[in-house]
Amino acid sequence: MSLEPSTGSSTRVRQVEAISNGTVVDHIPATATLKVAELLAGSTDQVFVGMNLRSSRVGRKGVVKIAGRELDQRTLSCLALIAPGATVSIIRDYEVAHKVQVPVPERFEGVAKCANPNCITTHERWTTRFAVVAQDPLVVRCVYCERSFAAGDLSLL
Amino acid sequence: MDLRGRHIISIADFSRDEILHILQTAEAMETAALTGRPAEALHGRIMATLFFEPSTRTRLSFEAAMLKLGGRVMGFSDPGSSSAKKGETLADTIRMVERYADVIVMRHPKDGSARLASEVSRVPVINGGDGSNQHPTQTFLDLYTISRLFPQLVAGTGLTVAFAGDLRYGRTVHSLISALCHFGGRILTVAPRGLELPPQYIAEAKEHGIAVEAVPTLQDAIAQCDVLYMTRLQEERFPDALEFDHIKATYRVTAAMLSTARPTMRILHPLPRVNEIAADVDATAHAHYFTQAANGIPVRQAILGLVLGELR
Repeated sequence: MSLEPSTGSSTRVRQVEAISNGTVVDHIPATATLKVAELLAGSTDQVFVGMNLRSSRVGRKGVVKIAGRELDQRTLSCLALIAPGATVSIIRDYEVAHKVQVPVPERFEGVAKCANPNCITTHERWTTRFAVVAQDPLVVRCVYCERSFAAGDLSLL
Repeated sequence: MDLRGRHIISIADFSRDEILHILQTAEAMETAALTGRPAEALHGRIMATLFFEPSTRTRLSFEAAMLKLGGRVMGFSDPGSSSAKKGETLADTIRMVERYADVIVMRHPKDGSARLASEVSRVPVINGGDGSNQHPTQTFLDLYTISRLFPQLVAGTGLTVAFAGDLRYGRTVHSLISALCHFGGRILTVAPRGLELPPQYIAEAKEHGIAVEAVPTLQDAIAQCDVLYMTRLQEERFPDALEFDHIKATYRVTAAMLSTARPTMRILHPLPRVNEIAADVDATAHAHYFTQAANGIPVRQAILGLVLGELR
């Protein structure tokens, strides 16, 4: 195990407060940082946000840390949609217990609203479903109206 | 091939072999009608037609197809007279109707409504048009019409199909292009600025080795194609009435324009037409849109018989 990583700096100075236990979402596309923060802030847990941090991999990135919580499957699914390419590190006692790139599922079910205003799922209570049609950049297609969308164009439910 | 119980929702759900099987069954239906053989394959079966949106050709040809096969029809063609008006969800309407009928044909203004219905229904759902998304039985009848005219379609030996008019919003155009991807050939497009074919369909065709070429004028398309697929331009797509008048005149086929066409070239149109095909074209050998509409009967007979398991 390694110590919780300092974010985006060769000087190893932490740009966002370290957490003892919880989850660090790193390498968030800069424009998606607030969306991720909003997704993770739906509880009383402490959330720390770093925006527009330097990254050798993606230029500018965001980091969001949430104390005392590990992410469930649905939240990971949401992350895959709004911040494809981000990494998730589980922190236990200030150390990285586990680190993965957010896995992109084959299908997204019940996590996002279809952006087509004429789609039946925007008019009738029904679980939305999107199939992945391209990975990089992530493009998904609504199983119902068959329209394709860049992942970033969808809003979470 | 067994298509019993299959929902007919999107042309993308069908393989090349399944499409060919439907076309061959339609041909058998047409042959049976010509030889006067009685066909009571669907005697005792009930088809529900749920038309939440007006339709003339689709509803009537489905009803005619069912009646010709000895089945019965029930349903509504005015959403004002359905329980949707009272606020019933589509899912609940389907849960009720599937207990009354053996097969459901529906048209609905919302994209994706037919897929949702198919997830609820235990009897086959046939999509008669869901918003601007899909109209698969129109695509089957378009393909049937082209394959009867040009058997080389199935052989994949290079048919040129030109699409003209509103290629951006025309669902029949999108579905037919997706279907043509199974059969090779070449596609020409001619459309007003802003109503061009969306890039995703160009990419899909190219992935299947089909060249898509935008030609500058309708006259260019006429001179080069085997099939000219015309579509209606809708005035509401044009904010400027003067511009619409100009475009309307540009996207109109007249008999005089057909002098450069191949003798075997045929014009198709999903109908209704408004101005885009002049009446003087009807008398030419190139006009084929009314035969195309008539082909809706054998194609829908085939689909009903196959999904109900009475035709193989």
